[in-house]
Amino acid sequence: MARISAGPADALAPGERTFVKHRNFEIGVFNVNGNFRAYRNRCPHQLGPACEGAISGTLMGSADTDWQLEWVLDGRVLLCPWHQVEFDLDTGERIRGLGERLRSYTVEVDDGELYVVV
Amino acid sequence: MTVTAPRPTTRDDLVIVDVDVHVNDTPEALAPYVDAPYRRVLDHISTLPRRYLDIPGYALRLAIDLPLPDRGAGARSVHTAQQMREDLDALAVDVGILFPDHLLTMAALPDDVYAAALGRAYNAWLAEEWVSRADGLYGAVVAVPQDPEDAAREIRRYGALDEFVGVYLPTAGVNPLWGNSRYTPIFEAAAEMGLPVMLHSVGLIHAAFPFNVEQFRTILFRHPIQHEFALMANMFSMLESAIPARFPDLRIVFTEGGISWVPFTMWRLDKEYHEYRSMAPLLEHPPSHYIRKFYFSTQPIEEPERPQDLVTMLDMFDGADQVLFASDWPHHDFDHPRQVLNMPFPADVKRKIMGENALALFGIDAPVRAG
Ligand code: FES
Repeated sequence: MARISAGPADALAPGERTFVKHRNFEIGVFNVNGNFRAYRNRCPHQLGPACEGAISGTLMGSADTDWQLEWVLDGRVLLCPWHQVEFDLDTGERIRGLGERLRSYTVEVDDGELYVVV
Repeated sequence: MTVTAPRPTTRDDLVIVDVDVHVNDTPEALAPYVDAPYRRVLDHISTLPRRYLDIPGYALRLAIDLPLPDRGAGARSVHTAQQMREDLDALAVDVGILFPDHLLTMAALPDDVYAAALGRAYNAWLAEEWVSRADGLYGAVVAVPQDPEDAAREIRRYGALDEFVGVYLPTAGVNPLWGNSRYTPIFEAAAEMGLPVMLHSVGLIHAAFPFNVEQFRTILFRHPIQHEFALMANMFSMLESAIPARFPDLRIVFTEGGISWVPFTMWRLDKEYHEYRSMAPLLEHPPSHYIRKFYFSTQPIEEPERPQDLVTMLDMFDGADQVLFASDWPHHDFDHPRQVLNMPFPADVKRKIMGENALALFGIDAPVRAG
């Protein structure tokens, strides 16, 4: 177990992200509506730099919405810049996919400093 | 009857259900069942000169192929339930699901009121003269796409009878495609009655998808497009409007397209879905999840040089529980059951494909054989 510093927590506002290096790859650190999340910057689809993509919401509907469309997960949907696969930033899971997910890391806040546990 | 082959040797182990056989729904046959004023119309149409599956004002079919002598002259058709039973006996088929001949093109009829009347006449004629549990002949209620409300009534009416086990969705010339929201009453009725919907296309030249097929000079190259492309377009349309998500218990059957197009649809749509999931906001899973639950009938079964390739093809979409034998009897391109039986599928898979899957799908009891 090692910890990599990602800077002061209050420097990362909701909706913002920063990157840390680990070995030969990057990890994206996100403030997702007040919660910190970290994912490896590598998409499970074709290994694109997923963590550099736009953060958005998305359209969805189901029996629960009586098949009406809703704009949901605003600020929680990460779009991989290569092919726009949607990931839930809260969990790293591909939205309505086949179970694919971004490799996730624990983020600790220690004395106002963010650390990614690798 | 020109096929009198011996029954397959494994006959005793097998129930053979044929999910696509055709009855000859001539205008004169339907005339007694149709509403006034169409009775007079059908009487008149009955007197018009006709070609195979091509009757003015009834079965639209722009036949543009160069006619060659001695070909197609003896086009087969089945005129009575008794003849169908005898024909299917000769093919060693226990149970047949009936589809029309001429009404295969009915989606192209421009007059919605007339089309609905023909559909009602066909359903009534099937009920009265064809379907019979004792003879193993079961009907699919035609859902006339030009009048979805009437189609829904017909599905509820005939679907209440044990002898009607499915809903036939005319697929050649249908416009808009079957995913359009105007058809919702049809899917609601089919789901409510627990009847699978069955898409069936035919060789039709028409200004609906797939159009431009008149550019082919011959049926040889046009025919696969008229069937498989039509099925594919309607499958995509139904996925686009999330029919399988909205009607999770509705079983959907694609007939007369063989099976080799199925893996393509799964892989290609899943590929697109990576990029465009938000454009299919009502699908709760990637398209392949739903396609794996669709049913596919065998005819025209592929005949690859290496028969093992067909087994691999089936495995690609986990088709052992989803594929249903069909002969398409008595049409020009029918498959003898032996053609599928002789493919190197494992014995249990053969039993499923040849009959068990269909018995379960349609809720038909295994027929008891005399002797
Ligand atoms: S590499 Fe990320 S969507 Fe394709």
